[in-house]
Amino acid sequence: MKVAIYWGCEIPTAQYAYEMSIRQVFPHFDIRLVDLKGASCCGGPVRSINTSAAMYLSARNLALSSQTGIEDLLVPCNECHFMLSETKYRIDNDEKMREKIEKLLAEERLTYSSEVKIWHVIDLFHDLVKVDAVKAKVKRRFEGLKFMVHPGCQIIRPSEIGRVDHAERPIKLDALVEALGAETLDYSEKLDCCGAALLHSHKDAALSLAGSKLKAVQSYGVDGFVDSCPYCHMMYDAKQEEAATTVGGKLSLSVLYYTQLLGLALGVDQEKLGLHLNQSFNPNKLDARAKNILIPRGNLDDRL
Amino acid sequence: MSLTDLMTMAKSNKMLQRQILSQLWEVHPDECFQCMRCTSGCTSLKLLELKPHEIVLLTNSGFVEELVSSDIIWTCASCLKCRERCPQKASPYNTIMALRNLAVEREAKVPEVYMKVVAQILETGLMQQVKMVTSREMQPLNRKKLGLPKIQCPDDKFKSSFMKALGG
Ligand code: SF4
Ligand code: SF4
Repeated sequence: MKVAIYWGCEIPTAQYAYEMSIRQVFPHFDIRLVDLKGASCCGGPVRSINTSAAMYLSARNLALSSQTGIEDLLVPCNECHFMLSETKYRIDNDEKMREKIEKLLAEERLTYSSEVKIWHVIDLFHDLVKVDAVKAKVKRRFEGLKFMVHPGCQIIRPSEIGRVDHAERPIKLDALVEALGAETLDYSEKLDCCGAALLHSHKDAALSLAGSKLKAVQSYGVDGFVDSCPYCHMMYDAKQEEAATTVGGKLSLSVLYYTQLLGLALGVDQEKLGLHLNQSFNPNKLDARAKNILIPRGNLDDRL
Repeated sequence: MSLTDLMTMAKSNKMLQRQILSQLWEVHPDECFQCMRCTSGCTSLKLLELKPHEIVLLTNSGFVEELVSSDIIWTCASCLKCRERCPQKASPYNTIMALRNLAVEREAKVPEVYMKVVAQILETGLMQQVKMVTSREMQPLNRKKLGLPKIQCPDDKFKSSFMKALGG
């Protein structure tokens, strides 16, 4: 099946490991990803400046998606997923906003269609591919390993516009990690925000939000921390060392995208999944805990 | 100066209050009954002293001018917990976004990063330039070296439509 994909800004300009691992894993489930041509920012950061201009940006990307003739649209970034879903909900229900935006779209000969179905990585695997089908494809099981997951904020709230998982008790990402043979632990800080939205205006607060969650997760002694949003991942992975300074003590927690973990379970070479870009990842530690999970780097047969 | 100080000093401005309300769609700050459910779970309460129920109260009392020129509206982390949990559909989050929009319109102080992002989107369609990254072994890498395809940016027609969207 074909699925259109909207990458947003942070993934294709910085969080390459997410893009690489997404491009690697979907073909294993007979899903062909079709990139949108000429996509722009979703408008997330513009919302603070001008809400209707932000919604114009989102609607434009939705219109580009309709143009591909594919109904299903994958949006792997939590912020983009929220902006696109919020915009769709608004223009499907508010005639005035719809007219205003349609006029702007017409200048580029674009038309908005309410038929588009917006997916995130988590619900696409959980609800469309299905957990059992994920389980069936796994070649290397993470037997005996324990993880904690971070679903993030904007894909689970606000439920009135239709979200990916339960607003207060999200469990789908846990189920998907468990499908790979690992165990996941519930924890009281699960719904805590990563702080990314404050990084450029209130840096200390942002780092401290990320740091205190990482510190808590680390204290439970898990083998890794699994996320699925480029902003959350940037905070927990690239900013981990800096975040440690705000909470006192050292942080050394391996943070991975779900699609990277899945890729490893499918037997994909770690470099193709961009694992060498994860600053926090400790391959030796994971390798020692789960034999044969990582294909040795330099094994040419398994490379491109 | 705290928000409470502002409130005792300032005069209520009903016109600006109406302007905020007119920006909101299916959100009703005027129905807030101050239960503080929003504030009890607010991401920015502990570190930045954001109290969403207070923002809603001040908006309802017409102290919009004061809110718009205060730093406090820029401390929201957009976690959406208050919007989810509010029993009155008052959504402090949406109220805060409307206040930010008004701050921009009235040329009050806006954190620099937001304006930069708009300028960047006008230039390339995306909110930031394509970055060079380094691997754990400090190897510099870009999209090409990682085997990722070239990004196709929107053309100039987009620019003029986006300008119009910002203007109206
Ligand atoms: S905004 Fe909603 S949650 Fe907050 S105090 Fe008012 S009614 Fe309660
Ligand atoms: S959206 Fe903003 S105001 Fe609402 S709970 Fe989150 S940080 Fe607080």
